[in-house]
Amino acid sequence: MSNCSNEKHKILIADDSEMNRDLLSEILADKYEIVGVEDGLQAIAYLEQNSHSVSLLLLDIVMPKADGFEVLAYMNKYHWIDDIPVIMISSETASSYIKRAYDFGVMDYISRPFDISVVQRRVSNAIMLYAKQRKLISIVADQIYEKDKSNNIMISILSHIVEFRNGESGLHVLHINMITEMLLKRLMQKTDRYNLSMADISLISMASALHDIGKIAIPDEILNKPGRLTDEEFKRMQYHTEAGAEMLRSLNLYQDEPLVKFAYQICRWHHERYDGRGYPDGLVGDDIPIAAQIVAVADVYDALTSERCYKKAYSHDVALQMIANGECGSFNALVLECLEDISEELRREMQINSPDHKASKEIQELSAKMQRYEELSASTKMLWQLEFERVKSQFFVSELSDLAFVYQIEPPILTLSRPNSLYAGMSEAIIDPFHNAQFEEYIQNGEQLIDIITENVHQTTMKQSSFQVTGLLKLNGVTKLCCCICRAIWVFHDQPRYMGVVGRIIELGEQDASLKVE
Amino acid sequence: MTLQEFYAATGGGYEDALGRLHSERLVQKFVLKFLNDDSYSLLCRSLEEKNMEEAFRAAHTLKGVCMNLGFDRLLHSSSMLTESLRNGVGENVPELFQQVQQDYEQIIAALQQFKKTQEL
Repeated sequence: MSNCSNEKHKILIADDSEMNRDLLSEILADKYEIVGVEDGLQAIAYLEQNSHSVSLLLLDIVMPKADGFEVLAYMNKYHWIDDIPVIMISSETASSYIKRAYDFGVMDYISRPFDISVVQRRVSNAIMLYAKQRKLISIVADQIYEKDKSNNIMISILSHIVEFRNGESGLHVLHINMITEMLLKRLMQKTDRYNLSMADISLISMASALHDIGKIAIPDEILNKPGRLTDEEFKRMQYHTEAGAEMLRSLNLYQDEPLVKFAYQICRWHHERYDGRGYPDGLVGDDIPIAAQIVAVADVYDALTSERCYKKAYSHDVALQMIANGECGSFNALVLECLEDISEELRREMQINSPDHKASKEIQELSAKMQRYEELSASTKMLWQLEFERVKSQFFVSELSDLAFVYQIEPPILTLSRPNSLYAGMSEAIIDPFHNAQFEEYIQNGEQLIDIITENVHQTTMKQSSFQVTGLLKLNGVTKLCCCICRAIWVFHDQPRYMGVVGRIIELGEQDASLKVE
Repeated sequence: MTLQEFYAATGGGYEDALGRLHSERLVQKFVLKFLNDDSYSLLCRSLEEKNMEEAFRAAHTLKGVCMNLGFDRLLHSSSMLTESLRNGVGENVPELFQQVQQDYEQIIAALQQFKKTQEL
């Protein structure tokens, strides 16, 4: 990941024998950072917290708590095996074991007794191969990003040419692109009627820039006529919708590309009206593709709020009022609701994207992008951010004097700031706690508070995610009255998703176990 | 007592161990560490408690350590015990364990002697 040559790759050694760990450590510590764990559960817990920083796992098969195959099953389930090479080291020589290990995706299998130079060589090969693979992945990701960026630039140059001829600023395309994206995202939250994916939204926003390409076929004197158009001229002007669509249709290649399909819909039908009185085809209601419906609203809004040779600019509020009153066309009620919903966000964005701000903002953004881009690839940057968040939360949890916990559902792991305060010998990270015999036994012995928390978590929503409850909890064998402040973690990507719960448990005082607390 | 003499006395393969670990220093370092390895005591304890699963793991670990160090005699007896304990069935476990005990104690005795000569 990092090209820093003085940074050592980290190897995790999972082996229950201290002798074995020491020996491996002795022969590898020169070149690598070594972390040793003594059973399978510890290995899983360590990987859970550090999967991004481990470069290789040396794994024993026969271990207490969870054996090597269980570790491999976990690594497969959570796809850690895709990023972390595993070398098995075992005194098992049965081919069935070795075959099973390879089936689980291990990279190599070293039998005891081993020659230390063989271990050193195989370890370094595995790490180099994966480092190369990671580098390739990040190069490909960056190239896709680059390609996307270039596509966007090409489309916006093309549409600027049309606008330049029209005497409009290049801002119109930019605005439509932005408003289209905002409206579609809101629409997707409100309904699944149109089967929109994030990829569709990105394509439609990109294609929106092409909505007026047909104007290239309209003579200058009509396009830029300051006065009112005659009926004849108006008809020719209307033709820009069909002209744009024809231009796209006559592309021999790319007919099946979603971008071209959306662009066709937008070009041809962005002047249709929901009541059927638009042009060129007089389509009614949802016969008008949603891409065209959305771009039509965006186009009208931007036309109203911009100055044109025949009119002054209306304010944001007046424009919204005019659209809502049906003065500027007839639209889908749901789309109008979306416009209403994004009103404040839209007002802010339009202020930022006014011509004065535009140039300096673009330069700032570009230079910021360049800086970021040269330092880090997109994927590495995300990993660093994750790591930052992890360290930050660990710090805050360790500074708390109360008992704090984090429970995540995928993979199910409960992490505690002071594990020993529940009962002696409890581990810091419990994997799948509700199927863990020791933890279940603990809960069943009247740990009322845990039940209350579980119940309350089920009632949380994206908006109502915090709660505070009181109940009895056994701490080191003594039942105490405790208060628990919790926050369920919901994230939003396409749709709300429950990820887990974090909380803080505060001791209120000792409690006679016979007293019942409501 | 030299390292070679220690190996000869306990039925071990010094040349093999040296070949794998590449230096006498490393062989000596880990041979001496064997004094503190707790897989044997874990084996005794789990057999006493009739925890056969744990006994299997301990015997298995002991076998792995012997492999690396070239303690061939103890490797042989601990391998037999490991296989007998593998499925928890355990045929002839007492006899097999007795052999392990005998081989282990011989190594420890010789090791202590070797350690003494080193400290002189």
